[in-house]
This record gives sequence, structure tokens and C-alpha cells, in this order.
Amino acid sequence: MGARRGSRVRAFAAKLRGFLSGHKRDNEFENEIQEHLQSLGEKFVAQGMSREEAAAAARRQFGNTTLLQEDRRELQTLPAIESLWQDLRFAVRVLRKSPGFTTVAVLTLALGIGANTAIFSLVNGVLLRPLPYRNPDRLAIVWEKSRDGSRDNVGYATYLDWKAQNKSFEQLAIYSSWQPVLQVGEPEQLNGLRVTSNYFRTLGIHPEIGRDFLPEEDSPNTNKVVMLSHSLWQRKFSSDPHIVGKTIDMNATQYIVAGVLPASYQSLMTQDPRGGAVEIWRVLGYDVSQPWACRTCHHLVAIGRLRNGVSIAQANTEMDTISAALTKAYPKEYDDAGVILTPIREQLLGPASTPLYLLLGAVSFVLLVACANLANLLLARATNREREVAVRTALGATRARVIRQLLVENCLLSLLGAAAGLIPAQWLPKVLAVIGASDLPRLDQVRLDWRVLFFTIGIALLTVIVATLAPSYRLSKTELHDCLQEGARSSGNVVGGRLRGLLIVSEVALSLTLLISAGLLLRSLNRLLQVSPGFDPANVLSMQTSVLGQRFNDNQAVRQYFSSAVERLRALPGVQAAAAASQIPLAGNIDRYGFHAEGKIHANPEEDPSAERYCITPGFLETMRIPLLRGRDISPADTATAPQVLLISETTARRMWPGEDPIGKRVKVGDMDKPWWTVVGITGDVHHVGLDAQPDMQMYVPHQQWAFPDGLMIFVIRTAGKPAAISSAAQQAIHSIDPTQPISRIAALANYVGLSVQDRRFALILIGAFAVIALALSLVGIYGVTAYSVAQRTREIGIRAALGAQRPELFGLLLRQGMLQVLYGVVAGVLASVAFTRFLASLLFDVQPTDPLTFAGVVLLLVTVAAAACLIPARRAMRVDPLVALRYE
Amino acid sequence: MDAKKSEVLQGTLDLMILKTLQTLGPLHGFGIARRIEQVSRDVLQLNEGTVYTSLLRLQQQGWIAAEWGTSENNRKAKFYSITKRGLKQLELETENWERISGVIGRVLRLEEEK
Repeated sequence: MGARRGSRVRAFAAKLRGFLSGHKRDNEFENEIQEHLQSLGEKFVAQGMSREEAAAAARRQFGNTTLLQEDRRELQTLPAIESLWQDLRFAVRVLRKSPGFTTVAVLTLALGIGANTAIFSLVNGVLLRPLPYRNPDRLAIVWEKSRDGSRDNVGYATYLDWKAQNKSFEQLAIYSSWQPVLQVGEPEQLNGLRVTSNYFRTLGIHPEIGRDFLPEEDSPNTNKVVMLSHSLWQRKFSSDPHIVGKTIDMNATQYIVAGVLPASYQSLMTQDPRGGAVEIWRVLGYDVSQPWACRTCHHLVAIGRLRNGVSIAQANTEMDTISAALTKAYPKEYDDAGVILTPIREQLLGPASTPLYLLLGAVSFVLLVACANLANLLLARATNREREVAVRTALGATRARVIRQLLVENCLLSLLGAAAGLIPAQWLPKVLAVIGASDLPRLDQVRLDWRVLFFTIGIALLTVIVATLAPSYRLSKTELHDCLQEGARSSGNVVGGRLRGLLIVSEVALSLTLLISAGLLLRSLNRLLQVSPGFDPANVLSMQTSVLGQRFNDNQAVRQYFSSAVERLRALPGVQAAAAASQIPLAGNIDRYGFHAEGKIHANPEEDPSAERYCITPGFLETMRIPLLRGRDISPADTATAPQVLLISETTARRMWPGEDPIGKRVKVGDMDKPWWTVVGITGDVHHVGLDAQPDMQMYVPHQQWAFPDGLMIFVIRTAGKPAAISSAAQQAIHSIDPTQPISRIAALANYVGLSVQDRRFALILIGAFAVIALALSLVGIYGVTAYSVAQRTREIGIRAALGAQRPELFGLLLRQGMLQVLYGVVAGVLASVAFTRFLASLLFDVQPTDPLTFAGVVLLLVTVAAAACLIPARRAMRVDPLVALRYE
Repeated sequence: MDAKKSEVLQGTLDLMILKTLQTLGPLHGFGIARRIEQVSRDVLQLNEGTVYTSLLRLQQQGWIAAEWGTSENNRKAKFYSITKRGLKQLELETENWERISGVIGRVLRLEEEK
């Protein structure tokens, strides 16, 4: 057998050589034959024939030279490839001959493939690309478990015990957010992290230039060293190659640059989703003796690299044991025994993955509709080409050859469609920037790469195979004899018609599902935007500032600075009210303190509830238009020496003192050793986390009375006109007190409200766009099918009209078929929606996934436009003169 | 059918060409055709074009090799010669042929004796 395989391989090699050398071989062979004929002729002449006779005799004796060339080609070249090339050239000719069909088909494909490629490149960039760490699947965030099962940050002392006692982690590091002001050029507030010295070793990142942090640097009172991101190094230090070892001014302190991270590393760790990328890292430099290193000082995030062979579950079990022992040793410091381990991928990308996979699912519906539409187009075309196919079959083409020709033609179409479909994917990042999807991590890494190209070509070919199935089936039923008869009616009408009906039904069903999803999202967003945030965001400008410099080591100086800044802002023309607060709602700030109400304090105060803390200057409620329900507001009289007072929100009052009057009650905030605060007023609730979240407990304390007055404050300025107009005047006013203080995050409050719903808006815009595309494709399909069937029945209509049928009757006759398919599609679509919309539940707000109003509205819309699509060709048929119709064909 | 008949013929033709090249050494297509004509003495009616189909097939199997050269009357011509593998194949085919023709001969004689 080996020998035979060997000879087959040799034959193939010869064929390949022959195929590649092509015409040269043809000529050589022709020469050889001509030589032979000539020699033969000469021989006959020598035997006494005339030249003509000899030539004829030679040809006779030699045989058919054309056939011989064919034999040679068969033997020496690859006929499959040659005929494929023929098919391809034929396909190009055919497609160019019907530009209308080609354009519609390519557009359909481009829409389907383009939408899918765009969403896939999004999924690819955000979710599928590897994380920028060494073996990212070994990294996990370690949380303390709260009593209610939620995740909590850790205190430094806890971290030290975890680190010393665990055997599961190769490295365990912690970080917390840090927003230093870089005083190089214009003072700029940066987004940074304070990290333990082993942080980069834990992640597996090496500095591009310079060195990593050293363990001995990780303590108080040593050199303060920082690591720069590649982007910061470029932006602020013009890529200075000698930056390592130099000092830079930050927060009125000098820091030494230890190194610069590679450009490929973009930090994904940030506690504030609106803060932008982290660009600077500083050694944590904690010591267990510091007051902020306590076990209950939950402000650090722990990240660990698991040892090889240790699973997340094993590590979790071990950490639970350690945590239980700690809880036993310090019962007052822990809320609950236990830890939660979250794999880094889930932590960073988990929140983004649900909506993205939802979008991927939705966009696949668009592809299916495009497939159905293309199949429909091809089917209609196949009917017109029946005779062509019949002729080819009669001339000896096999059925396989005919189908292959179709496939080649359609592959060409789909590759054209795929090429056009790559365009939206190219534009996608820009489009997304416009519609605002900046909440997605790694959005800047969305681009075309080989994975996206592979995906695009894959779905393009898949589309073709699916779309070619129907017409191939149709054509394989073609009866030769019937087709070749002059003036014959199309024979396979029944099969074709049924197939196309089915395609229309599925197109309608798919579009309806998308439309209903979009409708539900639209209603949700509407409902959400109707939710009152608890304050009036219109015409309020916010800007953040923080104090830095030696002179602000004095608490009174900090208080004085902010109160005079507020005074200056109030004095500006066009300003109605101004105030400052440690945090503002919907801006992504998180600041909570334990709320220990007198008489309701647990044996372990850690078990007491916590409330969002707003450290405010007088006038905050007025500026924000947060209603004061009872009692009094904070006033300038509540100074550092006056009795400590605070305001609580409605929810706080209801939860802490149900059925009681909270005014005059006393509370300890955070620290149990500090003096009591007295409740003097009750405010309305504010949506702090998001419009879709129930307001939690909130309290307002005077900046003048807080023991360590906040140095990072946000000004809120209510203006008469557009808030942006006051921006530069406001900055000047603040700088007129102290020009060295940085101002950042200048934004209208309304922007923050918009940002808080942007993920929903993002999903709505995309799914809405898919629904519109699908609907448009379906309408083209419905129109096409109705127009076709009307054209087929022109003669029938003429006869009916001649026999006295009335117009409305005929109209009904023509509409019935199309609308029946639409109605079947609607039924299927409603059923599919009931099955699928529950996956949207996480994106819905105050709307049931089966909201009857949305369903009814969307069905009505679809039926109306579908009826219009049927109506147009039907009306055209009505206008036909019966005589003309009878002579048709 | 047609194909089968020509296949038998082609097989025989292949064998004849190999034998011719073994006996006479390198030869062009015209020469091979003349030699077969001469040997068969009009018993075999043959389209000389089929010689070339046969030559192509033999080349593909690597049993003969081709080289451009100059013919007796100073024309450019392709000369074919038998290869080592061709010689082996010829030996094999000859044996085969003799065995089969022997068997057929015996069968035919038996039929006559009956």
C-alpha cells in the first residue's frame, strides 16, 4: 500500500508543479506535438504523398490533439483549483451583472457582520484580552466578611496577622487609594495608590527603568519613594531617562522616584470608577502603632498571589481559620469571622461581563436576521436562475458543481460584506466615547486584532453556509424538463414559498424580541430618570480641591480656608448659593462611619450600623436643595467650641428611632472615645450610590466641628445661568486665597446624574440600534416577499379583476398572505421574548421583564410598519390594468 | 465501456514504451512511435497521440525521464530514457504479463481440447 500512496504523492507533486508552471507547459507540449506531426508529414512526403495529403494523413494517424492537451491538463494540473478559479471569475461576472442584488446583499451582510464584529471587538478588548499581570489566574482579592455577608476592606493590623500566619499565598500585598497633588508645572491632582513594598512582586510586574520598592522603605519616617506610570513619565517628565533617583514635589513633600513601569502595564486597580487610571504609586509606610493602622480601620484592599497548587477554595478555608482565631482574640474588633476571596478577573471585569455578554447575545439576533434576509434574497434569485441552472445541468454540470458555484458566489458576497463590516468595528471606540461608556474597564484597549478578524471571517462564512442552505435545497428540487420549456411557470413555487414564509416568520420573531428588549430598557431608563435624586442637580457646578502645605497642619487653618473660599464663591455675580462638602451624592464617593446611637449601642460596637458621612459647611442643604424636614440646619454658629451637632436623613431617623422623635438624641460617630453629637435636624433622603439604589442612612456633620477637618472637599455652587459659565471665575476666586491649591474634577452635578445611569443608557443605545437594524432588515424582507408574490400573481389578479372582483377583496387577498406570516412571527417573537427578557432583569428598573404595556406597544409598532411594507407592493398591483395583467408574460 | 478498453490498451502501451526505451536507449516520441509501428507490423492500429499520454503517465510515476536534446535532423526534441525505477517496473510488468498470458493461453487450449 505504501508504494501506491507514494505514487499518488508523486502524481500530486507533478500536478502541483504543472499547475504552477501553467502556460509554459502548455506551449512545450504543443511544440512537441507539432514536431511529431511535421516529422510524420515529412515521412509521408518521402513515401510520395503531396504536402496537403501528407499533413492530413499525419493528423489522422496522430489523433485528436485538443483532447490530448485536455488529457495532459487532467494529468499534470489540479482541475479542482482551475475550476474553482473559473467559478470565482464567473461569480464576479454574475454579481457585477446584477448590481442591485449585490448592493442589497452586501449591505445586509455588512450590517449583520459589522454589528457583530463591533460587539465582539468590545468583548475581546475588555474581557478576553489577558490581564496585564503574570499568571493573573493566581491572583485574588482578600476581603473581610461583614455580618451581612458583604465584602469589606481590611485594617493594617489584620493584614499583618494574615500575612504572618497564612501558607496559601506566595505574596500578600495591600493598597489603598491616594490622590496626591503633583507640583510640577501647573499643580495637578493625580490618581494614585499607596501600596506595600511587595505590591509589584505580587502582581508580577517589573519596572521598565529603575528598581522595585524595598521592604525597608515600607515604614514610617524613611525616604518616601514613588513609582511612575509610563504615561505620567511621558506627560509630566518628558520621558527623562535619568528620572530614577531624582526628587519630585508632591503634597508639599519631596518624593524620590524609584522607577517607571512599562507602557504595557495599565493599572486596573482603582477604588473610584470615575477617577481615571492610576498613574503613581507610593510605598504605604504604615506602622502598627499608628492610629490608622487599627483592625477596625477598614480602608485597605488586600491582594494575594496563590502558591502553585493551592486552589481558591483551599486558600479561603485557611484564611477563614485564621480569621476565626483573630475574632476570638479580638472580639470587639471584628464584625464576623471569615474572609471572601475574589479572583482578580472577577473583581476587575465581573461587573462588565454581564452587560457585554448580553449585548453579544442581542447582536447575534441581528446576525440571524441578516442570515434570514440573505437567504430570502438568494432564494428569490434562485427562482429567477432556475433556467440557467437547468441549462448547466443539461450540459453536464453535476448538482454538486452547481451548488459549489452558488457557494463560491456567496462566499464572495460574504467576504465583501465582512470587509464592509470591519468599518464599524474600526470606528467603535470613537462611537463609544461619544455615547459614553467610560465605565467599562480597558475600553482604550478595544481595537481590531487577529482575534477580531478571525471572528469576522468565521461568522461571514457561517452566514454564507446558513444562507446558502435554503436556495441549494430549492435548486436541488429543480425539474430539468419543466424549466427548459419555453414560458414555463416556476416549478418549485410551493417549496420556495414555504421556505421563504418560514424565513419571514423567524425574522419578525427575532426583530420583535430585540424591539421588546429595547422597549423594556427604554422604559427602565425613563422610570429611573423620573426618580428624584433627593437634591436638585440643575445649575450646580462642583469642583474638588484639597489643602496641602505646612500651614495646613493646623486644623483651624483648614477650616478657615474652606469657609473663606465659600465666602468668595458666594460673592461672585450669578452665584445663588455655595458650600463645600467632603463628598457629594452620585459622584462615586464612599465615606461611611459607624453610627452609634445612645441607648442602642451593641455590646460589640462594630455591629452597629454605619451611615454615609457628609462633612459640610453651612449652606450645603440650601445649595443642593436638600429639604430640611424637621429641626434646624447647621449654621455658622456651630463652631469648633460650640456643642457638637449633626443632621440625619429621614431613613436614619426611621431606622434608628422608629416612632420616636430623633431631635435631641445623642450619637457617637465612628470613634467611641470621642464626645457625643446631638441630632438637631432631619433632612430628606439623597440617592448617594445611584438612582436605582434605595437611599441608605446618611448624616451631616459641620466641617467646623469635625476633629480632623477634611482637607479634600468638593465645592458646590448654584448658579443663576449655565454652571459652566461660572467655572473660571470660581477657580480664580479659590486661587485668590491661595494659588498653590489644585482644583480638579470640575463638573456640573447634572453630569454626575447622567454618569450614574450611563451603563443603562449604553445598553439601551446599543440594543436599540440592533433592534432598529433588525427591524429594517425584516421590513426589507417582508417587502421583498410580498412584492415577489404580487408579481407572480399579476395574471391571477388580472383574471380576477376581469371577472368582477372588487378592489378591497383583491387587496385583502394580497395582504392576507404577508400579514399572516407577520402574525405568526409576532406570536413566536412574543414567546421568545417571554423566554429571553429575564436575562435583562439586572438592567431593568421598576419594570417587569414581561411588562404587558411594552409588549403591546412594540407589537403594535411592528405590525403597523410590517403592514406598510406589505401595502406598498399590494397597492402597486391594484393599479395594474386588467388587460395588461392578462397579457403579462 | 470505452474507458476500460483504452485502459487495457494503455497498460500494454506503457509496457511497450518501457521495453522500447530499455532496448534502444533515449528516444523522442516520434522515434518511439516508429519503433512500435515497425515491431507491430500494422497489427496494432494506434493513434500516435496516445503515445504522449502514456509518456506523461510514465514520467509522473518516475519510470522514465525526459530531457531536451537535438534530433538526427537537427531539430529540438524531447528525449525520453528509462530510469532505474522504470527498469524494475519493466521487470515486474514483464513477469506479470508472461504469467497472465501463460494462464490465458492454457485456458484457451483447454477450451479447444473439450
